[in-house]
Amino acid sequence: MNRKRFLSIWTIIAGAACMCLNACVDLDITPKNVVADDDVLSTDAGVNIYMARMYSLMPFEDFKYTAQWGFENNGWLNSAGIEGTGEAVNREGLSAAFTSERTPYWNKGFELILEANYLLENLPNFKENFSEELYNHYLGEAYYARATAFYTMAKRFGGIPLVTKVIPYPASSEEMEVPRATEEETWDQILEDFDQAVELMMEESPIEGYSNKYVALAFKSEAMLYAGSVAKYNQDVSGRLTGLGRKTGVRVIGFDATTWQTASIRYFTEAYKAAREVMQDGGYSLYKKRWTADDPEAQYQNMVDMFSDLSSPENIYVKQYIFPTTTHAFDAYNLPFTFRAPLASGTCPTLDFIELFDGFDRYPDGSIRVTNGDQNASGNYLMFDSPLDFFKDAEPRLRAYVIFPSDEFRNKQIDVRAGVYIGDTPIKPFFSNYAYNTADTRYQNLSIYNGSSKSLYLSPREGGSQEIVDYNGKQMTAAGQEGPFYDNGEATVTGLYLRKWLNTDPNAEGGEGKSAQPFILMRYAEVLLNAAEAAIELRLADATSPDGSDFLQVATDAVNEIRERAGANLLQGTLTADIDGRNTVRKERRKELAFEHKSKWDIRRWRVAHYEGRDGFWGETRDKNKFSNNENYRFRGLYPFFSTKTGKYFFDARFQWVASKTYGYTPLNYYFEIPGGEVAKSAVIDQQPNR
Amino acid sequence: MNKIIQSGLLCFVMLISSCSLFEPDNFDAPDVALEGQVVDILTGKPVLTDQGSEGIRVRLTELSWGDNVEPNPDFYCMPDGTFRNTKLFKGNYRITVDGPFIPLIREDEDGRELADESIVMDLQSDHQIKFEVQPFLHVEWVGEPTVENGKIIAQVKVSRAVSPEDFRTKVEPMGNYNDDFLNMTDIQFFVSYSSSVGYRARDERWSSRVDYSGNSFDQLFGETITLESNGEIPAGRTVFIRAAARINYDTPAGSGTKRWNYSEAKEVLVD
Repeated sequence: MNRKRFLSIWTIIAGAACMCLNACVDLDITPKNVVADDDVLSTDAGVNIYMARMYSLMPFEDFKYTAQWGFENNGWLNSAGIEGTGEAVNREGLSAAFTSERTPYWNKGFELILEANYLLENLPNFKENFSEELYNHYLGEAYYARATAFYTMAKRFGGIPLVTKVIPYPASSEEMEVPRATEEETWDQILEDFDQAVELMMEESPIEGYSNKYVALAFKSEAMLYAGSVAKYNQDVSGRLTGLGRKTGVRVIGFDATTWQTASIRYFTEAYKAAREVMQDGGYSLYKKRWTADDPEAQYQNMVDMFSDLSSPENIYVKQYIFPTTTHAFDAYNLPFTFRAPLASGTCPTLDFIELFDGFDRYPDGSIRVTNGDQNASGNYLMFDSPLDFFKDAEPRLRAYVIFPSDEFRNKQIDVRAGVYIGDTPIKPFFSNYAYNTADTRYQNLSIYNGSSKSLYLSPREGGSQEIVDYNGKQMTAAGQEGPFYDNGEATVTGLYLRKWLNTDPNAEGGEGKSAQPFILMRYAEVLLNAAEAAIELRLADATSPDGSDFLQVATDAVNEIRERAGANLLQGTLTADIDGRNTVRKERRKELAFEHKSKWDIRRWRVAHYEGRDGFWGETRDKNKFSNNENYRFRGLYPFFSTKTGKYFFDARFQWVASKTYGYTPLNYYFEIPGGEVAKSAVIDQQPNR
Repeated sequence: MNKIIQSGLLCFVMLISSCSLFEPDNFDAPDVALEGQVVDILTGKPVLTDQGSEGIRVRLTELSWGDNVEPNPDFYCMPDGTFRNTKLFKGNYRITVDGPFIPLIREDEDGRELADESIVMDLQSDHQIKFEVQPFLHVEWVGEPTVENGKIIAQVKVSRAVSPEDFRTKVEPMGNYNDDFLNMTDIQFFVSYSSSVGYRARDERWSSRVDYSGNSFDQLFGETITLESNGEIPAGRTVFIRAAARINYDTPAGSGTKRWNYSEAKEVLVD
């Protein structure tokens, strides 16, 4: 037997042994490399590690969240307000209505729920290791995390499986399978968990990044506002938007005809109480460090600063980033075109959005005036020395959120121009019709652009593709350096750029993973708006005030406080208990909380995204037929043009010109589809009954 | 060298030992065809629709898989109210359609089944089936459309295909009944270059619609209604037109989708 054969026989024997001997004796010894309860749950430092894991699973909608894709935690192409909210649009396919998420929030939710339930069940074994205050706080954190997971799921799916204990595994299917609860039970559970969290948690976070009593109260008010709205406004959707699960017969979406009203009042009352407690005892206030009365410049700068100032008294809960270890790429995708690194213009605010704000001349129907006629197809264009003159009275808050054409950003003038017009003045509107059904006729289809007597110059792309016009002996590009270009959606597609959240430092390095601005997940302004909206809803329902406060006065003060800081016109008198009063609060919310991943939920809970309800889409009442047909809706841009004959600028208000987007929404979308696999593999998980 | 060959052999034996080597692991390709049509139970005429999720939805559920089955992916009828699926696996199916007609599956508010007129059948070979339903409305052309200055003017007649009493008898037990359900809400006038003109394939520039609030249409049932297209259609082009009307009732209940009953498509030369 030579050595080689000997070796190979050994190889075979060893291989066989490996296969045969792999199931011998139980090794009932705790492995040294596995961290057990004793190690983690017995000391504050250990619990801190547990919390870090729990928080890493929290579903925060921030710079790492994209509505079309769900919680995928990578921040790729992250932008704000492009999911059919009307705040902004962009060129990408992901600028589509919020009708589903590619990664549904289901499995990840139950992971977080398990972490929370495990802590609730096992921390009591180590109670004596902690001070009472911290022990309670930790339990409160678990309730808060669970409430957050349930809330995040409920606003997507309606009734969900309420897993409130650790499910043993392996076990029989009866023990492991939890069917969906009714939507009402789900919101009641969320309420209960938030209440437990509020009761147990400390008034100040023991460690930065932890939650506290007021964080829980603030999110509770948001969640209860959602619940109250759904209970109430489901009734307005045809078919009452409710149904029973096929497998269980449980009312998995919507509310019972006999209970919706009381449920709605109960949730609004809870929202109101929670918000009021934050207002009275939380010690928060609106950020006004740079604010000065009657100084629009200071008011504007104040609202730019507030989103990056971590010491802001307005911040209730903030997701922080630290360069270079935990970063995001918001700047990389959303800066104006010439700053692109590697992309740009991910968030292009719309004209419809800026129409919400004060400080513009209007047509009789309330839309922003660009001509001297009575609507934008009549009269002549209004002329301005600089595009900025058009915005000279605009609300400071709007300027802090949106970069106007020719305004400054990072010490640079943002040169936005849609085209150059060399024809005579006065100039008649380019189109005879600006109605929805003509939205696909664009500037490049006009005969003044492509006909024999060319008087309009536009640019398909940047750089060498720019069309050139002689003006005063100098050469002028048709489009501005920052676009828009009709064949390149990489520059602005609406004539406007986002300012909010962007790093304003002129020396900031561009690129993905270079940004570390914090994302404010909850701020005091929202609490004020929650209180105001709940107050009006309660007054509309003739409910009694839980703390004796005057609903309408509270709502009026809240709105005025926000308006004053924003530099907007204050309310004349108090709000009224009717649809107008409610819409005033809604509109304020649409304005103040824009680009914060909040509006898509507001539109959803008000049930104003589908055609029949779409008049209320903007918070205020606008005729839906102006921006939608009975299926889709779309948004407008504001395009500045330069007139060589006068040396002045004029604006045209036209449906999004470049990379034109339409959005669609039906009542089905108010409840997302339950992931098909979860329904198919379980005998108790119901699909949405109306699907 | 030997060692490499031997260990290679060993790996090979391990790799193939776990599967049934000589049994083809395969499933017959789906080859059953199902053709169907949806017709008006009274007149026997097809229920015209649009191809898309606002038209007539065909839902197949393969019951052979046991109790806990999810429906197959939905598909939709062709504009003439027929459907065909030639790639079905053999099996036992529940076949149902939802559209602008009295729902075939009716349940009360507590989820109790009131009626289930869907078809349950074994599909081992090709089949043709027919659903006899009670559509909400009939939409018919009156005369021939005319063209004037690039506008098409057409006349239609809308009549109820199911009597209000019948509708009420069948729909009221489903709960939340409202007399408004029966109101005619709008007539759509779709214009398109495409012969499959309809809700999806309409040209926004020229299509128009007439809305009716409340029960204001009630006295217009059976009357001739004149529809006019929007804008100006360029001369020398052939376009297709279609009219559609609907009542204030969504099918299936709770979906929020109110489906239209359609007229036939007509070809119009704009000159």
